[in-house]
Amino acid sequence: MAGSALATQPQPQSQPAPTATPGRMSRLRRALAERRTRYGLLNAAPVVVYLLILFVYPIFSTLLLSLKGEEGGWTLHWYADAFQGANLEILLTTLRISAETSLLSLVIGFLLANAVTRLKPLWAGLVMLVVIVPHFISALVRTYGWIILLGEHGVVNNVLTDLHIPGAPFQLLYNEIGVVIGTTSVMLPYTVLLLYAVMRAVDRRLLAAAASMGAGRITIFRRVYLPLVASGLVNAGVLCFILCLGYYLTPALMGGPKQTMVASLIDDQVMKQNQWNGASALGIILLLLTFAGLLLLRLLKSAGEAYRKRGTAS
Amino acid sequence: MPELDVKAPKITRPPDAGTGTGTGKPLSVTGLRKTYGGVTAVDEVSMEIAAGEFVTFLGSSGSGKTTTLMMIAGFCEPDSGSIVVGGRDVTRLAPQKRGLGFVFQQYLLFPHMTVWDNVAFPLQLRGTPKAELRRRVGETLEMAGLSGMTRRRPRELSGGQQQRVALCRALVYRPPVILMDEPLGALDKKLRDQLQTEIKRIQRELGLTVIYVTHDQEEALVLSDRIAVMRDGRIDQFDSPRELFEVPRTPFVADFLGAANFLAGSVEERTSEHTRVRLDTGGLLTARPLANADADGGRVRAAVQPGRIGLCPADTGFCTGTVETVTYVGTLVRVTVRPVGGADTDVVRLELPAGRAPAPGEHVGLTAEFTDVSVFPDTEDAGVHPDAEHRG
Repeated sequence: MAGSALATQPQPQSQPAPTATPGRMSRLRRALAERRTRYGLLNAAPVVVYLLILFVYPIFSTLLLSLKGEEGGWTLHWYADAFQGANLEILLTTLRISAETSLLSLVIGFLLANAVTRLKPLWAGLVMLVVIVPHFISALVRTYGWIILLGEHGVVNNVLTDLHIPGAPFQLLYNEIGVVIGTTSVMLPYTVLLLYAVMRAVDRRLLAAAASMGAGRITIFRRVYLPLVASGLVNAGVLCFILCLGYYLTPALMGGPKQTMVASLIDDQVMKQNQWNGASALGIILLLLTFAGLLLLRLLKSAGEAYRKRGTAS
Repeated sequence: MPELDVKAPKITRPPDAGTGTGTGKPLSVTGLRKTYGGVTAVDEVSMEIAAGEFVTFLGSSGSGKTTTLMMIAGFCEPDSGSIVVGGRDVTRLAPQKRGLGFVFQQYLLFPHMTVWDNVAFPLQLRGTPKAELRRRVGETLEMAGLSGMTRRRPRELSGGQQQRVALCRALVYRPPVILMDEPLGALDKKLRDQLQTEIKRIQRELGLTVIYVTHDQEEALVLSDRIAVMRDGRIDQFDSPRELFEVPRTPFVADFLGAANFLAGSVEERTSEHTRVRLDTGGLLTARPLANADADGGRVRAAVQPGRIGLCPADTGFCTGTVETVTYVGTLVRVTVRPVGGADTDVVRLELPAGRAPAPGEHVGLTAEFTDVSVFPDTEDAGVHPDAEHRG
């Protein structure tokens, strides 16, 4: 109906309402006549305005800023700059540390969430509280806490030295180990919460069913449990990665010069060099990396589907 | 499409199969016991199940039937006693080491696998060669009428189809014993009847040893070679359906299987052939011999199934009464008769062919063959009404 109206009147769809086709007009009017639509618009309006002012406009102005040359005009200079020399290294470091952190918090999160699902509800709630409550404390305080714990004469190194672990005390701060430990502790609640939700939804009797057919523990884990929680692992991993990409505080405080991440670079450019255009370009690159992460998530999911389908065909 | 090259289903015996004609192996349970925090769930359960036999544990909830099954499966460990499958003691083995099959009430198909993969799973675990795996999965699915839906996911199937897949998954590796925990409990009546027939057919064809748990006496009667009627963690009686129905050994069995009428009275005469009981309503009822010799001359209760009581002219037979209600149930009529001289609550229930229905208010006599009447000492409180048994 509306489709045929559009076909006979070759006007672009994006044209404003006054010159729109009668079909579209009537559909719009009919929709507006409905109480539900009017209420819906009324309810959505604050959110739409909020998002436009605080989300869409800043992103677009950042995008414009990142494409502006120093003497006016448009340029890709800032992007080229971001992918050169020290800046490129920082970008790669960011990706590497994010990947390491995601992997570590996935492993720890998996073990923790898996253990929690085996507990009785009361204990499970208590453990989840222990995992999440530190998150209520400022990240700054927590990071300083880690610095105290991991220092050359901190608790961790003192214990390791007392145990006569060869090589102790270790350098646990101002290097990549320190950054990864710090960011992992920040990311852990997210992975644990995501994984716990998925794991709790797994019917444990399915594992018993597999056992009744003769499957050992490892097989049950690999063939039944892991596929059932795979989506949670992918979600948690990608979320963790995305959060890490733009994370500033912990890497800045617990890392050395070699662990400078993109967020620190942006800080440096804005605060010290007053270089807003370059900072904008880096911000946009981070945003694109985030999108890439989300795209990866989708690809992984469809790849998983395809793999399962192939498994059926064989 | 691997399922296309399937020939007519034929029974193939893997090298690990039993020595009988079918794949089933005998199972024996001795002195099985399980307590949960002081409450005895299963109390000294012992039984011998032959290869290829279909045995049902029948009882209400809390009777210990499921706990017994779980102990045989290995999902819970008995406090004492032993379980031997095909000559191998499996009492302390983990479920996956027992090699039994289990069909759950909730199906428990793997949601991330297709129908085909679900059924192939146990064979893959056993390292079955690919060609044989295809053939056996194909055969099994065809036998259950599922050949057309091998690529579907469990959630795309109806409850009945899902349970068929679960059945295939337990059958495909030819386990020596298949355990079924109320597998049809979640299905509607029509589907249940249909699947009962299928389960029975497959069990006979393959000579499977099946242990089936249900609280539905009709289902138990239809399926089983023998039924173990369970109550309070013990087996009341372990017999063929016919014997349970006709020669119940406890009032509970008489009531649970056939919803028997219980008539109170005292023993007037005992011989080796029969017992004569003077009913409290005045009549004289002839019954089978009293099993328990101690109860001589004492108070007894006679049990007669509603379907085994006939009508006769008033003032003949063991009891005379007034017809109270007449209810048509298909080809049968359910009739209740209030005996003359009985208490207000006592009514005798009858099931008669529809053609012989009396009219309400009519004065009738009741009669029964003495072989259809069981008599129990009136000492046992045991379950005169099934509702009294629904604890836990």
